[in-house]
Amino acid sequence: MTSTTATELATQVYQVFIKATPEQIWDAIIKPEYTTKYFHGGRVETTGEAGTPMRMFGPDGQTWGDETIQESDPPRRLVVGWRSLYNDEMAAEERSRIAWEIEPRDDGTCLVTLVHDQLEHSPLTARSVSGEGWMGVLSGLKTLLETGRPMR
Amino acid sequence: MDDAHVFKALADPTRRHLLDRLFERDGRTLIELESGLEMTRFGVMKHLKVLEQAGLVVTRRRGREKLHYLNPVPIRLIHDRWIDKYTERRVSALVDLKHELEQTS
Repeated sequence: MTSTTATELATQVYQVFIKATPEQIWDAIIKPEYTTKYFHGGRVETTGEAGTPMRMFGPDGQTWGDETIQESDPPRRLVVGWRSLYNDEMAAEERSRIAWEIEPRDDGTCLVTLVHDQLEHSPLTARSVSGEGWMGVLSGLKTLLETGRPMR
Repeated sequence: MDDAHVFKALADPTRRHLLDRLFERDGRTLIELESGLEMTRFGVMKHLKVLEQAGLVVTRRRGREKLHYLNPVPIRLIHDRWIDKYTERRVSALVDLKHELEQTS
């Protein structure tokens, strides 16, 4: 495994095509009945409106995230801060930012892009979400929406 | 972004090399990516295009620069679709063998 430093992972971009409507994908991002099935069991709590809170709780009720939505354009774009409250060391790092982009296409699929940036001063968080982190979440989201089942 | 595009993109050593370079450091320009490659700019662009079509590379603009990012999700999907399936069968074969041996003993 090549060693990486903070600046190398300061912006991360993930993309996946999902056979679903933009509204279904939007719901899957902001509704707990979906997030518990693909986001490591995390239960999201939000209305999805800009300026309102977006929180995430672990299966045991532990707070995983406590942010305010920075930008919201349902069902196309959602921007929210990120601090990994599930880990003390990462929680002490600076807040980064994630942006969900949902682009419908002609073939009944949507291109879902997740950009996690502003990670320059959060090397532990950057390393933790790269690779398996977002990759697992996005492939889980695709599986859930396309098959109705969570991944094993 | 179907499996065929991903397999085709991964079948070429130059393209795998480009992915490895993005893995080492993500968000690079074409100029950075073509340095150290014995290939014309046009050749590198062609390879990047194939990687983009397969969804393995995503480009984003930052000011006047076009940056290339490694998108590992298609590889993960291939892993889920192809590798998990076969390792699962092997594991379950071992479990079956265990049951069988334990029953006969």
